[in-house]
Amino acid sequence: MDNMVSVVLNTDVKQKDADSAVVVAVTSRALFEQGPEDDETGVWKLSRAFPLLQAVQKVNDCLLEKNPAESLLLDVILITTDSQHQQLSSVLISSTRHHGLGVGKFFFSSEETFIDCLLENNVQLFLSTSKDEVLMASQKGVPSALLEARKNDSSVQCQREDLRVWLHEDLISPCDSASQPSSRHSPQRFLAQLGEIRQRFGVSDSPLWISLVILHGGRENCGNRLKALRSLGVSVDDVYCLAGAPSDPLLSLLQPHFRFNCSFVN
Amino acid sequence: MPSPLLFHPGFSSTWRRSSRSSSGRGWRSTSNTRWLMKQSLSVLDRPSPLSRYLSVRTRRDRVNPSRDCGGGGSEHHAHLHLTAAIQSDPACWCIIVLFFCVCFQALEAVNAQLRELYPESEELFDVVLITNNHANVGLRLINTINHYQLFIERFCMTGGNSPIGYLKAYHTNLYLSADPDKVHEALEAGIAAATMFTPDKMTEVSETQLRVAFDGDAVLFSDESEQIYKAHGLDKFFEHEKAHENRPLDHGPLKGFLEVLGKLQKKFYAKGRRMDCPIRTYLVTARSAASSGTRALKTLRSWGLEIDEALFLAGAPKGPMLEKIRPHIFFDDQMFHVEGAAEMGTVACHVPYGIAQRAARKGGKDKETSPVVK
Repeated sequence: MDNMVSVVLNTDVKQKDADSAVVVAVTSRALFEQGPEDDETGVWKLSRAFPLLQAVQKVNDCLLEKNPAESLLLDVILITTDSQHQQLSSVLISSTRHHGLGVGKFFFSSEETFIDCLLENNVQLFLSTSKDEVLMASQKGVPSALLEARKNDSSVQCQREDLRVWLHEDLISPCDSASQPSSRHSPQRFLAQLGEIRQRFGVSDSPLWISLVILHGGRENCGNRLKALRSLGVSVDDVYCLAGAPSDPLLSLLQPHFRFNCSFVN
Repeated sequence: MPSPLLFHPGFSSTWRRSSRSSSGRGWRSTSNTRWLMKQSLSVLDRPSPLSRYLSVRTRRDRVNPSRDCGGGGSEHHAHLHLTAAIQSDPACWCIIVLFFCVCFQALEAVNAQLRELYPESEELFDVVLITNNHANVGLRLINTINHYQLFIERFCMTGGNSPIGYLKAYHTNLYLSADPDKVHEALEAGIAAATMFTPDKMTEVSETQLRVAFDGDAVLFSDESEQIYKAHGLDKFFEHEKAHENRPLDHGPLKGFLEVLGKLQKKFYAKGRRMDCPIRTYLVTARSAASSGTRALKTLRSWGLEIDEALFLAGAPKGPMLEKIRPHIFFDDQMFHVEGAAEMGTVACHVPYGIAQRAARKGGKDKETSPVVK
């Protein structure tokens, strides 16, 4: 029983086209707060991943507004990465439905099985608040990123934010050397799809904002990155070539939802 | 015309056009600078406010590609940040490039010496380019930087967002722009800022000593005294200044920038480099040494700031004096002086702060700046 992963569809949400949608997996620990359920409603409170889900929803809504038959949408699935949450499937489902989150599917897996689950189900991006999980998934070839903590700015949380993605080269963390250009899970594929989504919108009306941050090296490095991304079809919105300057001030300024390592892109 | 009463302790009238430092950064030769000057003059007829701004920054971190700079970054206390945005139109590049070349060598001279004296320190000048442009012209920007052989290591393209957020995040001390609206925005955000104008011609400036000249009122100091002058005339102004001689003026928008320069100067003094310090600051004011000048000096002293030379012109035009000093950059709150400086070949920046701006906006050209002092 422990090795089995169960997949449950969220019947409140219209399922996306499996072939075209960009599958984004978010861990249950990232979405819901630790601790007991709310007494009244019996559901869990929302945590760090909630703004991301809102932003993804905004992107999808904007895409469908432009083209009601759009199939290139972001498909969010919720995945459990430990056995404890794996057992609490009913609370997870009811909490998700209670908050009206646009989660398409639930994958109930454990620490041992979640990565296989990601690989088998064509997950193009895995988001977690655990560095270890992100590292493990990356090493196995699943493009992964850490969900960023948000500033507690109530004025920002009231409205639906744009989805903000920060692309950088993280030369320190090991990247997935296992990925082949043609691999279904390759980071290039995710970036290409992200780029395609971005192309659906104009320069100023986009609900998706892509920043390129070059932490080290000078403008030549920056130029190469821009060219490489362009060849994938990714056109970034803003570029910051920091050449060794600390990135924290920029991080708190840009407030990305996650930072994605694109150092493998050649 | 009264001769300006000069008050400059330890003034040295020579600056060295010395051999290049061994920083190994590949200095541009003087002939190259002349070539660029020719290029710029052929492109533009006359100086005009440019819709671009120049960025230079002292930063704590050295450029070191192998270093991991993931954390920290909140303690940028000696941060000087002049910001430049470049329009994607190549023709507009010439003037900014020219200014950049001129200023950059002196900045590099300062850096080289700072590195020599304090190899472990991270307090240096740096150049950052900021543009509002969208990153889709990113490659073009990089190509243009390469083409003009500018040593810009850091740049930001904000994709249409205001650069003010970035300036605040990195604790900018000075922001230069050719766009007056951006400058206003920066001043309102508490960042020292000025609108840049480049001159018809460029007088040659030192490659080894960075010289910065400031006006006093409404630049280093608040505009409170100027308000008195405008409301009640020159005599009342003198009376008021004399009576309040010992009460420091309030600070103006560029006080912080002078402070940063002072901090760097002290680093040189600590190593016995007082007489040949590669940074030199000047006060060029219409105040007169005999009367209203005292309050200015006492104010600076009360702030613990030193200025290398204080030039009290008692209302005389600033252009000729600036031509003698040859600062790399000059800040003034009145367009009359800025234009005068530009005519004489100085890179002059307008600080749109204080009462002088309101008078200008009312439409009356402000000609009060040459009061006759008997």
